[in-house]
Amino acid sequence: MAKAPAAGKDSPVLSVRDLKIEFVTRRGILKAIDGISFDIMPGEVLGVVGESGAGKSLTGTAIIGLIDPPGRISGGEVWLRDKRIDALPAEEMRRIRGKRIGMIFQDPLTSLNPLFKVSEQLVETIQTHTDLSASQARERAIQLLTEVGIPAPEKRIDSYPHEFSGGMRQRVVIALALAAEPELVIADEPTTALDVSVQAQIITLLKKLCRERGTAVMLITHDMGVIAETADRVAVMYAGRIAEIGPVADVVRNARHPYAKGLMGAIPTLESHSERLVQIPGSMPRLNAMPQGCAFNPRCSAVMPVCREKRPDPLPQGKSEVACWLFDSANKSAQKEPA
Amino acid sequence: MSAFVTVTDLKKSFDVSPPFLERMIERKPRQFLKAVDGVSFSIGKGETFALVGESGSGKSTVARMVVGLLTPTGGDVTVDGISMHAAAQQTEREILRRRIQMIFQDPYASLNPRWRVVDLIAEPIRAFNLIDTPKGVLDRVSELLTLVGLSPLDAQKYPHQFSGGQRQRIAIARALASDAEFIVCDEPTSALDVSVQAQILNLMRDLQDRLGLTYLFISHNLAVVRHMATRIGVMYLGRLTEVSTSQEMFKSPRHPYARMLMDAVPDLTMSGRPRTPVQGEIPSPINPPSGCTFHPRCGFIADRCRMEAPVLTNGVACHAVEEGRIAPASRLKSA
Repeated sequence: MAKAPAAGKDSPVLSVRDLKIEFVTRRGILKAIDGISFDIMPGEVLGVVGESGAGKSLTGTAIIGLIDPPGRISGGEVWLRDKRIDALPAEEMRRIRGKRIGMIFQDPLTSLNPLFKVSEQLVETIQTHTDLSASQARERAIQLLTEVGIPAPEKRIDSYPHEFSGGMRQRVVIALALAAEPELVIADEPTTALDVSVQAQIITLLKKLCRERGTAVMLITHDMGVIAETADRVAVMYAGRIAEIGPVADVVRNARHPYAKGLMGAIPTLESHSERLVQIPGSMPRLNAMPQGCAFNPRCSAVMPVCREKRPDPLPQGKSEVACWLFDSANKSAQKEPA
Repeated sequence: MSAFVTVTDLKKSFDVSPPFLERMIERKPRQFLKAVDGVSFSIGKGETFALVGESGSGKSTVARMVVGLLTPTGGDVTVDGISMHAAAQQTEREILRRRIQMIFQDPYASLNPRWRVVDLIAEPIRAFNLIDTPKGVLDRVSELLTLVGLSPLDAQKYPHQFSGGQRQRIAIARALASDAEFIVCDEPTSALDVSVQAQILNLMRDLQDRLGLTYLFISHNLAVVRHMATRIGVMYLGRLTEVSTSQEMFKSPRHPYARMLMDAVPDLTMSGRPRTPVQGEIPSPINPPSGCTFHPRCGFIADRCRMEAPVLTNGVACHAVEEGRIAPASRLKSA
């Protein structure tokens, strides 16, 4: 079993060890997350990408302890600094949520209560997690709104969420998430509901604020562009496992895992002018029909007999870790490392 | 090249007034939202014309008027010389309808969940009486399914048995069922994952090459548009701000809004190209800014921009470009 990560300045804010999540259904147990491990260091942005159903959001929800039954964490550990948080009592977890871990969801309209003014929501959050008085909390709220770039915050603070535009609303949500100065922010598709022009603003803002405060960020998105702009490291998820994790430049420009490679080639870019996009045949397998061995083997162009039998584990490759038999030392003599 | 589809001064306003009684009691005036405000463009045969812009810029409203799902407030659309809206050409239009089809954004909503795939795809064939025998219809459905990369055996399944990408393939097969020549695609890949999006975009291009299709392609994703379009129109608050060929547009966008959109696209190659931060958001079309509607977000404004709306000349609607106050940007060295 994994032990508590060593405490200290260079210790990770979040450490996930062999996390497993399963759903118990009448037709059997579905393994949605099947043993993933990663660390996030202070001030680091870890991007988590993958297609729908890869388990990105579920990982985020598991970390903040919001998995609804029939889903459950069936194995592994989640450490926030030196505190294990995957099996805390509900009340204790509630105090960590918001205080030590902030959360930003995809749709700003549903994460704000439409019946309360922004001021009430911000003040409530601040007062829950700090000892500030109501008027001090309000001042702090105005200060937060200024930081996230809302013009005339003294006036806007008493507006209702519907009076803000989409981009402004997401700024309010970011202010809410940062209200208690959390050590970790989990941003689940924070820009997906926004227009491209606004998306760039929100990403820049999120990155700036977290850098200034040294907040660690787990950025969940399906948009590689967002990751390339924001993240320091990136984890590519496929069918409940991490296919490749490493520094963003390595993964984006020189992906090693065939899935990560295909994913990068499939994205039309402004610079490329090729006639056809790289396409990965087929689609992600369903949870109840996971292929044996590597989950990607039916779609993989470099499939080998071993891929159909045994599941590859993440192994270090340069600064990255790749879960693919192509990079296993036992097979290395047979396969050349792609340039 | 003669134009296959011509859109002239197309306008659509929606009545968003408060209810009658409220208007009378509170003496509120009627209110109109100008969703599309004088849009003109033409599409040549076999060409892909793309409309891009942020949400609320009126892209989808144009698409709906082009296929005749909405009646314009002003202006007209002609396809192959036949007006889509003039009463005089009613009979010609009914024949024309067969040649125009649409693909929608959400393949989960555009396919009737209670129908089998065979019925979904055969619907246009039956509606237009294209094939008489049931056997003939079945053969045609199988042929179409093969064409879009599905198996003829899939015909007996229901939509829920397919993934998002496969459903979009079914929607494409349905659009092709009546031998359509002109297909309006309203954000056909926005609901799909990137790897599946690549499959669908490749399929659409292959079909265009094989069948000589003409596309009106609506998207907010500039990278997708660059991959698909021959010509591009950039829309902002119901007006076209710039129209040019795909190459021109991405090499040297002229309108400040087009430049801003290009700069907002995340840089995947991480070449470190300089980006100007984007400012502000699209204003409400109920109460658009005076003059050039883009002026509150523009970095090149003069007094004239606040007073007078620019007209599309030489493919750009901008006073600053017209007066030579801004030189065309050249962004991509390699393009």
